[in-house]
Amino acid sequence: MSLIEFFARHHREIIQATFEHIWLVGMAMVLAIAIGVPLGILVTRRPWLSKPILGGANIAETIPSLALFGFLLPVPWLGGRADRLAIAALTLYALLPIIRNTSAGIAGVEPAVREAARGMGMTNGQILFQVELPLSFSTMLAGIRIATVLTIGIATIAAAVGAGGLGEFIFRGLAMVNDQLILAGAIPAALLALAADSLLSLLEHRLRPVR
Amino acid sequence: MPPHTKPHEVIDPVIEFRDVNFVLGGRHLLNDVTFVIGRGETLVLLGRSGAGKTTALKMINRLLVPNSGEVRVEGRSTLEWNPIALRRRIGYVIQDIGLFPHYTVAQNISLIPRLEGWPAKRVHARVKELLEMVGLHGGKFEHRYPKQLSGGQRQRVGVARALAADPDILLMDEPFGALDPMTRGEIQREFKTIEKRLGKTIVIVTHDVGEALVLGTRIGLMEAGRLAGMYAPREFVHASDPMAAAYMAQLRVYEEARGQK
Amino acid sequence: MRFVRPVATALYRRSSILCLVFLLVSCGGERGNTIVVGSKNFSEQALLGEILAQHIEARTHLPVTRRFYLAGSYICQQALLSGRIDTYVEYTGTALTAILHDPIEKDSSAVFGRVQSEYQKRFNLAVLPSLGFNNTFAIVIRGEDARRLNLKTLSQAAADTPQWRAGFGYEFMERPDGYEGLARTYGLRFSEAPRILDLGLLYRSLLEKQVDFVAGNSTDGLLSARDLVILEDDKHYFPPYDAVPIVRNETLARHPEVRAAVAELAGKISDEEMRKMNYAVDGQRRDATEVAREFLHAKGLD
Repeated sequence: MSLIEFFARHHREIIQATFEHIWLVGMAMVLAIAIGVPLGILVTRRPWLSKPILGGANIAETIPSLALFGFLLPVPWLGGRADRLAIAALTLYALLPIIRNTSAGIAGVEPAVREAARGMGMTNGQILFQVELPLSFSTMLAGIRIATVLTIGIATIAAAVGAGGLGEFIFRGLAMVNDQLILAGAIPAALLALAADSLLSLLEHRLRPVR
Repeated sequence: MPPHTKPHEVIDPVIEFRDVNFVLGGRHLLNDVTFVIGRGETLVLLGRSGAGKTTALKMINRLLVPNSGEVRVEGRSTLEWNPIALRRRIGYVIQDIGLFPHYTVAQNISLIPRLEGWPAKRVHARVKELLEMVGLHGGKFEHRYPKQLSGGQRQRVGVARALAADPDILLMDEPFGALDPMTRGEIQREFKTIEKRLGKTIVIVTHDVGEALVLGTRIGLMEAGRLAGMYAPREFVHASDPMAAAYMAQLRVYEEARGQK
Repeated sequence: MRFVRPVATALYRRSSILCLVFLLVSCGGERGNTIVVGSKNFSEQALLGEILAQHIEARTHLPVTRRFYLAGSYICQQALLSGRIDTYVEYTGTALTAILHDPIEKDSSAVFGRVQSEYQKRFNLAVLPSLGFNNTFAIVIRGEDARRLNLKTLSQAAADTPQWRAGFGYEFMERPDGYEGLARTYGLRFSEAPRILDLGLLYRSLLEKQVDFVAGNSTDGLLSARDLVILEDDKHYFPPYDAVPIVRNETLARHPEVRAAVAELAGKISDEEMRKMNYAVDGQRRDATEVAREFLHAKGLD
């Protein structure tokens, strides 16, 4: 059976696995953004926190993914369900690029702009939401894009701990020595990563502020 | 007390400094500064870099607060004012201007009115009015972005922005310092004409003696965190104070070099 | 404000994509009427999965998808819990220790009872009656030695072990319910420390007389095809590993006919029958699907 026939025959399972994959990545990204952006903002407000926060995220990033999955397995609530575990680990991985780019983006706002905003009587919240964040969007999105592509890749490893997704095809294919099965996981995963990268790149460029 | 700073001479005080001290990192940036600014005056704070002029300016809109002493605006200490409310009543123009790059000229100018909730029609009319006032005629500037403007044009937008909500007080920190001398001269003259129309209380920080003489109704000379003297421009020109004299000497040298006397 | 709009649009777009995905995933979870049969990643499991799948297809006429070669009990358990598979065959001893984290027991029906009730209580999963065989550890010696020394049980063999060399897989050496406990229970002593062998080489080394005493699995295919003897575990040291189908209750609720179909397989596979099927796939390299079909036909279950 050719590869195309294989994909056609098993298209249902492949699509199913793709959605499982997107679910893992999507949840992790939502959490990473919800946690990472505020932390990035905090780092710009309290520079002394930069070392611990960025340092911590850096450590999470450095731990090999499989090892991190393994570390989280014995944790009570997380280890019970593989998808929770995977989402937790993926969130940790996605944090560093997001925190770093958020803080860099905000720090990159010209001091004169910030001073003018303050001097004119904008509140801290208004400065954050109407000046700093809009001017940082492009940079923040670059961080989100990097994190998303990273997460899509690491999510394939999550199948090793039972979280499903496209990685499962790869592992099963390896166990059965079945190339087509491996590709049934590898190709969609690669396409997903490329699609996410292009889509977010597009968004990044659209939102680049007129300087 | 430095000459010409007797409080009872000022009938309608808008801004008062009373024994203001400010220390940062162990350094005394302001030392017992005391003066009064009356309504409608344009006070120019003149001095070298590091003299404390900008520090004093920032006391007025509470970007900084004194370590001791008091700064009063419209009769109330800046510490009593709600900082946001205070700043919205004061126009603020800085050297690098700080226009928001992601806003059009119109959006930049109308920032405070919109934050204050003005109706759209009123905002629109005010933007047009201000653009005319600062010499950006033609109606094609509204939708431009700061990066599309020249330095002089940006400076004018900065002034327009500061005036948008029609504040009674205007603070300007080296407002024309980033411009080339030709443009600077031009803008100073234009500013002089609208100054009269506006009737506002203005405080300008500069290290340019010529600018001080042209724009100010009074000149406050500052040195090492202290107020060295307060002069009307005519008085300054003939002042015997060594520093004032030094400034004037510099100016004369400059003018001679340019072939004017 | 010009900037709010692109931001709002971007956020809206992102969240609507996520909502769409979420919907599709949850809808995808329905999978229509398809039953998904899983299995672990060795041939016996693939055979059992295939038997289950074919029988469900034949009896219920529901479409069945196979998701075999999942890498272990934890993965299969997670797949059941999340609904990615509807059923797979587990071994009671493994379920008890590896999934439920309960201490091992020796009594087969006690283990089954506990597994069944705990799975229902903790995971809402149904454990159906055993397929009929017990894939526990098997201590194997050469046939000729068994006959020469007239050995049938491990207790009898204990006297001869000092003259033998033992070969075990890594896992058997490490597990607390592996070699350590075995040696203690039967008082086994060997001339030298047991050799650690690759699982695939265990029987070959035994047949080639490089070792004399190995621990394999009772349903290993080679056991039915070579002159090898399993020593009886008369002291019941090894825990029971009865093969039981585990099914999601939701699946049974939606398709009650699946329960009947699976229950029909109860007790139908003996140890020897499993060995023969394993040998057909591992030893004779036959296709698992065919072997499964033959088995069902022979049992009159197709």
